[in-house]
Amino acid sequence: MEIDEALLQNAQPDGPIVLRIYRWEQPTLSLGHFQKPEDRYAIPGLGELPWVRRKTGGGAILHEHELTYSLIVPDNRRLRSTGDSNGSELIDHRPAPSKGHSEKLYRAVHLALVRNLQGLGWNAQLSETCTCQTSKDKKPEPFLCFLRRSPVDIVIGQHKILGSAQRRTATGLLQHGSLLIRNSRLTPELFGLLNEACDPGRVKSEQSEKLVQQFWVNQGSVAELDVSQDGGKPTFDEIELWTGWMVASLKAGISEVLEVNWEQD
Amino acid sequence: MSITPEQLRYCDSHEWAYVDASVPDVAIVGISAFAVEELTDLVFMALPKIGQNVSAGSEFGEVESVKAVSPMYSPVSGTVTEIHSALVDKLESLSVDPYNEGWIMKVKMSDPSELEKLLDWNAYKKQCENR
Repeated sequence: MEIDEALLQNAQPDGPIVLRIYRWEQPTLSLGHFQKPEDRYAIPGLGELPWVRRKTGGGAILHEHELTYSLIVPDNRRLRSTGDSNGSELIDHRPAPSKGHSEKLYRAVHLALVRNLQGLGWNAQLSETCTCQTSKDKKPEPFLCFLRRSPVDIVIGQHKILGSAQRRTATGLLQHGSLLIRNSRLTPELFGLLNEACDPGRVKSEQSEKLVQQFWVNQGSVAELDVSQDGGKPTFDEIELWTGWMVASLKAGISEVLEVNWEQD
Repeated sequence: MSITPEQLRYCDSHEWAYVDASVPDVAIVGISAFAVEELTDLVFMALPKIGQNVSAGSEFGEVESVKAVSPMYSPVSGTVTEIHSALVDKLESLSVDPYNEGWIMKVKMSDPSELEKLLDWNAYKKQCENR
């Protein structure tokens, strides 16, 4: 995440838009920017983990069986007009006229992921609910990000499987998020994409099953989808396949709202 | 005393500075109504500390809205002499009156001429309209 922050700090006008996907070498907790470090001891086991503090807000994320994405957009890059991805009049994203949670980049990226998940048969949708607390409410939100809700979070049934957060500065915008593939033994109350709890929502039609199998075949490997709830690690094949899928989904969503010529690094 | 937006000088990042003629070396700093409207529901504000040195154009604090964290940039250089601590527990007052109830900090300026480099109300308003 330090790389994300450095990329944001050093973003230059007309500089590149950067998309990164990464995993963590060991289970690590990332805290939202204003969360208190001592709060991580409230959940058994979390206090002993290495931890970092994000430059973005929101709740704590246990980076174990998940994929993290980050997107850095320089300050002067402009968003496309709503609903038109064919290069018509561009508008400045900095004081994006959209209010509250409906910032274009959040919604475009998340909707692209939702479409792709639905195409694979999962009953994914945007949350369209909120647990956000303004100062006058004075009620604490859950410590863990995946127990909080904002309208553009991606859920399957009652389970949040992807959330994102932004930091907006004079140099540009950083948006990053986490796709929960499976829960961790330390956070059994959460359920990821491959947990059985997210399976009942799937439309297991012949077509969707073929689509899923075809997806794995197209990626050059066939991996069995293990939807057990024992918190076991996804296999290497599963992780690599989903990384490729996520990159494709994110690029599609970003290209809805930004002009980008993608290059692979 | 009641501050009006027309009296203020602005950064293009939406912070404002006001100097009362009776205290000419101190700037009162806040964020504009435009910025507050952009940020929408605020959940937290991190203020500077009294005695902290600030530089024009550099971060002096941060504000968190429901989906983004944004730094606040100081319009002037100098030393923070007062902070509006109570504001953190009533961020909603920024939506009502960001220019009086919503003041954030007071800075004893090291170089008052920096105010001249800031946008006046008309220039700031035009910038916002062109966005």
